[in-house]
Amino acid sequence: MAAGASRGHHDSGSRHHKRMTEFIQQTAFGLLIGGVYALFASGLTLIFGVMKVINIAHGALLILGAFLTFTLWEQLGIDPLAAILITTPAMFALGWVLYMTMVRPLRSAPLSSTVLLTFGLALVLEAVMGLVWGNNSRSARPSYFDQSFDVAGIVLPKAQVFAFAIAILVLTLLFLFLARTWTGRAIRAASANTQGAALVGVDIARVSVLTFAVGVATVGAAGSMVSVLYPFLPGSHYIWIARVLSIIVLGGLGSLQGAAIGAVLLGLAEVYTQTYVSTEWATAVPYVLIFVVLFFRPQGLMGTRLREDVAV
Amino acid sequence: MRRYTVRRLLLSVGVVVAAMLIGAGCSDDDDGGDSGEPITIGVSLPLTGEFSQPGKAAKQGYEVWRDTVNEEGGLLERQVELEIRDDASDQNTVVSDYNALIQREDVDLLLGTFSSLLNLPASAAAERNQMLYVEPAGGAPEIFERDFQFGPFFTQQATAEKQGDLFVDWLLNLPEDEQPKTAAYPVLDDPFALPVIEAMRKKLEDAGIETVYDEIYPVSTSNFDSIADSVKSENPDLVANGAQFDDGIGFRRSLSKVGFEPKMLFQTNAPSFGSQYSDGVGVKNTEGTFFAISHTPDATTPGNEEFVQRFEDEFGEPPAEDAADAYASGQVLQAAVEEVGSIDDQLALADWLRDNTVETILGPLEWEDTGAPIGEFLIGQWQNGKAEIVLPEDAATTDEIITVRPAAE
Repeated sequence: MAAGASRGHHDSGSRHHKRMTEFIQQTAFGLLIGGVYALFASGLTLIFGVMKVINIAHGALLILGAFLTFTLWEQLGIDPLAAILITTPAMFALGWVLYMTMVRPLRSAPLSSTVLLTFGLALVLEAVMGLVWGNNSRSARPSYFDQSFDVAGIVLPKAQVFAFAIAILVLTLLFLFLARTWTGRAIRAASANTQGAALVGVDIARVSVLTFAVGVATVGAAGSMVSVLYPFLPGSHYIWIARVLSIIVLGGLGSLQGAAIGAVLLGLAEVYTQTYVSTEWATAVPYVLIFVVLFFRPQGLMGTRLREDVAV
Repeated sequence: MRRYTVRRLLLSVGVVVAAMLIGAGCSDDDDGGDSGEPITIGVSLPLTGEFSQPGKAAKQGYEVWRDTVNEEGGLLERQVELEIRDDASDQNTVVSDYNALIQREDVDLLLGTFSSLLNLPASAAAERNQMLYVEPAGGAPEIFERDFQFGPFFTQQATAEKQGDLFVDWLLNLPEDEQPKTAAYPVLDDPFALPVIEAMRKKLEDAGIETVYDEIYPVSTSNFDSIADSVKSENPDLVANGAQFDDGIGFRRSLSKVGFEPKMLFQTNAPSFGSQYSDGVGVKNTEGTFFAISHTPDATTPGNEEFVQRFEDEFGEPPAEDAADAYASGQVLQAAVEEVGSIDDQLALADWLRDNTVETILGPLEWEDTGAPIGEFLIGQWQNGKAEIVLPEDAATTDEIITVRPAAE
């Protein structure tokens, strides 16, 4: 009897331990994914904050970054995550060119015009990537791509851990750039109030091109991560733009901190749903979360109401 | 003066129309088109978007078939032209593409698109327009449950729910101590992948193999670590993953990442992509993986060697399974047209296919009245970095079948 009770107690303890381990494991997965998502979304929210441009080509630029990284890895043997040092400046330059040639002429046009423009750009980029790299699915396989760290029984995939660490580093640098440099303050000022910033001497045209280029550069770094973490082909951008848009809506359009929080919440919501609800609902439940948040905070978690909103 | 001009104009138009009508009435045009004019075949394929990988392969297969037919003198002595549109992997676009091909481009014949998801509405558009529909993909059972007259004729050996049959039969005939006791079924929410795995699960459950994990994941799933970890926690002997390509790669990579190697692994679709699969998951991770497949470049079926050679000459790589399936669709369409001797009566073409067997590079194909094929799929297994055919015995490219994956030992 006593032995049975003891065994029952032991079984119950074992089940509890298993459940706890599972919860910690899933939380780790969610945080690792969320950190990477935060980098994916940072450029998009930055661009919207300053220019009020919803860059639908963001997903296609992400995949372009992944293809560039894949080529560097395949042809030159450069580690995909180290390739960030090449893809980021390359994408910065591309962002600059795209802004000067395509976005700037439509700066004063309604939001819908830039949405259409960037959607068109996404389709063009998809076609160009198809021509250059073909429509075959790719994924880089550095030595650590299928390896994991084991920390007290919790599995931490190496590629995710490295990507997470780099994402945090890049985001920290971005925060410091925005908070500590004159140019960064100008970007924040333009983001908060474009006309006010212009009145105090901020060169809005320069800030805009710089913001767009920085936004595209961050997506270049994110693309390098995609190349290791997920299989991709030119058409993969549809999935990513939907996810990234959700993150910045959840976090509050234009808010970098909001994007980071939204990304982590989305990552956690995905894995918790997969584990505790159903894999079938894993992509739907996070959108329910977004709906609930927006119901109570239409401006998103960290978004601020504009004066026009208050007037309404 | 003005009345005279109008009368002369009307007269001229009348003469031209009369001449056209007489010409049309007098022509002895059996094949339903202008003799010597090319036969135009309309196709919509997912050349961009989610299914662009098989879409591109299908396009290559169709093009090789077109070139082969034209070199051999054409179809009914007319050259074949393909009018190919991109449906962007979208169900609405594929329908408008086929409607436009039929009604605006006035194509003579149709060939199908890729994936059950797109063939489901595309074949309905063909049926509405009373056009024969031959498809290289689209094996979901519901496609053949609509009492259509003009197809769709699926040019693979079996519909989705029968694709795992040989594997299950083999599994259940193993010595009892080698049979799996438990199984996990992570499946993509896809009209092709789902029926394959559901049919397998039912048969294995009936045979007493316990299901320890059975979950459907949506198409937009990119993160598989969590799913792989849940599978790992159940420690199944067999993992049967219903997948398309990217998700199949993602899930396989995640199994390695969470450190779980099942004794037996079966995946739909992804492992049949040859080197693209091994490039995606790493060669060492391919060992022992089972998959269902319709074609192998090594097959000794009539015309296969020539097809593979021609494909390699044109594209510099061996044909993917999807390319071979598309080529076979062309062969099936060709056989029907040549045997009927005309493209006028599309229902006659469909009826001919219902009553006959067609020799293709996939082997002989025959169909039920619904257009569902009557046959058995091949079962492949990755061995030593190469995709081998292991079942049925008469089509096997190796005598060995790995029952326990080395990584699991």
